[in-house]
Amino acid sequence: MNGKTALRALALSLVLALGAGAGSLLLGAGAAAGAEVKIDNFSFTPAKLEIAAGTTVTWVNRDDIPHTVVSNDHVLFKSKALDTDEKFSFSFTKAGKYPYFCSLHPKMTGEVIVR
Amino acid sequence: MHPFDPRAALLAKHAQHVVLIHFPIALYLTAVAFDAVSGRGRRPALAAAAYWNLAVAAVSTLPVVATGLLAWQLQLAGQRLKGVLLQHLVLGLAASALVWTVFWIHRRARRTPERPLPVYRWPLELAAAALVALTGHLGGFLSGVNLPQ
Repeated sequence: MNGKTALRALALSLVLALGAGAGSLLLGAGAAAGAEVKIDNFSFTPAKLEIAAGTTVTWVNRDDIPHTVVSNDHVLFKSKALDTDEKFSFSFTKAGKYPYFCSLHPKMTGEVIVR
Repeated sequence: MHPFDPRAALLAKHAQHVVLIHFPIALYLTAVAFDAVSGRGRRPALAAAAYWNLAVAAVSTLPVVATGLLAWQLQLAGQRLKGVLLQHLVLGLAASALVWTVFWIHRRARRTPERPLPVYRWPLELAAAALVALTGHLGGFLSGVNLPQ
């Protein structure tokens, strides 16, 4: 391989690498935004979650016993009893504060703040 | 929620199931203890105490089972249970059935004095005590006694 060919190969590699990087960035931006709340040891973590409008929040029960995720108005969202490792998701489209709790253990509370 | 809304007495925060369950547990275990010390009927007062504790324990399982089933229907919309909730339900029903069986054995012996209390009641009484304890243990977890303060 002479010097000119090597230079071309290097330039091509750079272009491909840049293209791949930009592509993955674009894909990442296009994917649905998400946030996760962990349920463990009778608590929601984080207890207060700030997100942008349009974000889907997923609650994952990592506790050994079942829990639920219910909005304080009992209307907006209400999960079934989530057993260990089960998930519940809800998409928040409007700005505001959304307090919620576990209906089996009402002392377990959390809040989603949508900006 | 209105204080006289039936759900107020069935759902968490003020659930009567977790209040009422203490009665059959205490009465049944006391009945078994009285039965154990009644000396095969040599101490009739203690045998009578065992019988009446057992009778009230059996009857008090009814509101406990009813409030538990209603809470399941109202709190979880009767969803198909699994895991600890299912274990609690199955063990609770089995424990209640055994408490009633033990009560029936005592009642039958009491009604026919010529027929003494059978020895086979002991494994049944102990099995029921174990089931009651296990169900209560799971119920404690479910109700959140381990909730961090």
